[in-house]
Amino acid sequence: MNAAPPRLPRSGSLTWRLAASAAFWVAMGLGLIGWFVIRTDARQIEAAADARIERQLDALVAAVAFDRALGPLLTRPLADPEFERPLSGFYWQLTGPGGTVLTSRSLWDSRLPPPRPGEGRLVARDLWGPRGEALRVLEREVTIEAPGGRVPISVQLAVPRAAIDEEILSLRRGVVLAFAMLGAGLVVVVVGLVVWGLRPLRRTQEELVEVREGRRQHMDVTAPSEIAPLVEEIEALIEQNRATVERARHHVGNLAHALKTPIAVLRNALDSGDAEAARAQAMTLDRLVQHHLRRARAGALAGSAAGESAPHEVAQAVATALSRLTAQRGLAIEVRGERAARVRADAQDLTEMLGNLIENATKFAARRVRVTVSAPRGLPVAIEIEDDGPGLSPGEDAAALARGVRLDESKAGSGLGLAIVNDLAQLYGGRLSLGASPSLGGLRARLELPPSRG
Amino acid sequence: MRLLVVEDHAQLSAQLRQGLSEAGFVVDVAADGEEGAHLGETEPYDAVVLDLGLPRLDGLSVLRRWRAGGRSMPVLILTARDAWSEKVEGLNAGADDYLAKPFAMGELVARLNALIRRASGVASPVLRFGPVALDTATRMVTREGQPVRLTALEYGLFQYLALHAGRPVSKTELTEHLYAQDFDRDSNTLEVIVARLRRKLGEGLIETIRGQGYRLLPPR
Repeated sequence: MNAAPPRLPRSGSLTWRLAASAAFWVAMGLGLIGWFVIRTDARQIEAAADARIERQLDALVAAVAFDRALGPLLTRPLADPEFERPLSGFYWQLTGPGGTVLTSRSLWDSRLPPPRPGEGRLVARDLWGPRGEALRVLEREVTIEAPGGRVPISVQLAVPRAAIDEEILSLRRGVVLAFAMLGAGLVVVVVGLVVWGLRPLRRTQEELVEVREGRRQHMDVTAPSEIAPLVEEIEALIEQNRATVERARHHVGNLAHALKTPIAVLRNALDSGDAEAARAQAMTLDRLVQHHLRRARAGALAGSAAGESAPHEVAQAVATALSRLTAQRGLAIEVRGERAARVRADAQDLTEMLGNLIENATKFAARRVRVTVSAPRGLPVAIEIEDDGPGLSPGEDAAALARGVRLDESKAGSGLGLAIVNDLAQLYGGRLSLGASPSLGGLRARLELPPSRG
Repeated sequence: MRLLVVEDHAQLSAQLRQGLSEAGFVVDVAADGEEGAHLGETEPYDAVVLDLGLPRLDGLSVLRRWRAGGRSMPVLILTARDAWSEKVEGLNAGADDYLAKPFAMGELVARLNALIRRASGVASPVLRFGPVALDTATRMVTREGQPVRLTALEYGLFQYLALHAGRPVSKTELTEHLYAQDFDRDSNTLEVIVARLRRKLGEGLIETIRGQGYRLLPPR
C-alpha cells in the first residue's frame, strides 16, 4: 500500500524549459543591443580620431607652397617628429599638377596611393601602408596662390589605425563582458523565480506522500490560487477514496455477518448428516455471495465516472450469444431501433441488464423475442424487450422485481435476475418497468436509462 | 462419449472426472490452457468442459484457437464469474453453453448430453430404433417397453452409434470415443461388446459393414 508510485514518463523539466527559453531570448535581445552599442561607439571613436587627424592636416595645408620648378613645397616642417622617422606609420604626401610629389621623410621612397578627385571636400580612407600596416588617411584638394597663378594640390595625411582599433577593441570587450554578465544574471533570476514559483507544487507533493504513507490525514497546503484547485481536487479524491474504503469495509462486515448463520446451520447439518439441509444452506450461501458481489460493484460504481455504451450494439451482442443457446428451439431474437443511441452507463453493466432481460424473454418466449431501442430527444433512452410468451398478470409485476422471487419455479434461474436489473437501473438513475406487450402478447420489459451527454 | 475437462482447480477437476465418469462419460483432464488446447486439437472429443480462468493460456484463447483451427466440438464454459459481459464474450467466441460455478453435477451432465445431441443434429432426447428406445437424458434403454440392462461400455457404444445413425462408424472411431487417452485399446473387445448388444437388443439392429465398421439404421 505504501509502495512508491509508478514512475510516469516525464516531459522534460519545467525549470530547464523556462531557463532555456529565457536564456535564448536574453541572448538574442542583449546581443542585438550590444551590436548597436558597439557599432555606434566605434563610429564615434573613429570620428574623434578623424577630427584629430584633420587638425594635423590643417597644419600641413597651412604650410604648403608651390614652386613651378620644384613642385609642392613645405614652408615649415610639421611639429610631430614621427613624420621624420622612416616608416613610422605617420605620413604625409603632397601631389601637385603634372604628377609632382612631395612626401614626408617617414614615407622614404614609397608613395601613398594617388588621391581621389575630391574637389575641396575632406575624404577619409582606410589604406595599407608601405609596411603593410593599416592606415587612416585623410585627404583634401587645396588651391594655392603661387607665382604664375593658382595651383591645385592634393594633401594627404596618414596615421596608423592601430591606436583606433585598439580603442574599439577594448570598447567591444567591455560591452560584451558587461552584457554577458547581465544576461547570465537574468537567466539566474529566471531560474530562481521558477524554482521559487514552483515551491508550492513541491510542498503539495511532499504532503501527498505523507497522506499516502498515512502520516497525515488531510492536505493543508495554503497554495496560491493557481495551484489551490489542484490541491482541492486531490483532497476530494482522497475523501472519495476514504469513503469507498469505508463502504467496502462496511459491506465486508455485512457479508461476514450474513454468512455466519448459514455457516453455523451448515456445520450442524454436516454433523448430523442431513445432506438435504446442507445443500439448502449451500444454496443460501451462494445467493448471499452473489448479492454482496453486486452490492460491492454498486458501491464501487457510486460517484465514479460511468462511461457510455451503445444499447443497440450491446443488445445485438447478447442476442447473438443467446441465439447459440436457443438455436434448436427455432427462436428468433430481433434487435431494432436507434443504432446511434448512447446511454450513460458502463458497458459491462448494460450487458448485465440486457443479458438478464433478454435471457428472461427467451425462457418464456414461444417463437419471438424483440428488442427495440428508442432515443426520443430530451428523454431517457428506452430499451424494450418483448416476447410472445404467457406474460405476467398485473399483480405479478411488482413481485417480479423483488429480490429472489421466482414466479415460475419450473424455469432455471436464481430468481435474482430482474432484481439485479432493477438495482443497476436505479443506480444509473434509470428505471425498469414490466407490462404487457401489445404487439407480441407476452411480457414487455421496459428499461429506461439516461442518455449520454455529448 | 469422450469428454475433455480443462480445469486447473485440482479438487474440482477430480470431482468432475468422478461425476462425469459415473454419468457414463469417458473423461480426459487437462490442468492448464496449453495442455487443454493441445488435447482439443489432436484428440476427437464429443464435448469439452472448459474453465475460463486457466494458467498459461486462458480459456477464451483456447476456445478461439480451436475454432480458428476448425475444431467444432461442442464446448461448455465453466466459470466462477457469471457476469453477462463474460457470458456474451464466451458464447460469441464459439462456446455452445455456459455454466456458472457453483453448479450441480446433474445440471452439468444434462447440459452436456443436450450439447452432444444437438451436435449430432438430434432434437429429441429419446431415439427410437424399431422396438428399441434410447433416452439420452436418463441413459435408459428399453426393448418393447422393457428396460434393458447395459454396461457402461455397451451403453456408450450404442449411444455413439445411435447419435451417428445411418452412417458407418469405424472401429478406430469407436475406440477413440469410448476410451480415455491413456487407455490400452483393443479392438477385439469391441466385437465382444457388439455381440453382447446384439444379443440384448436384437440381431438385426447393428449392421456390420465389411472394411468400414458398424452402422445403426436411422430411427423410424
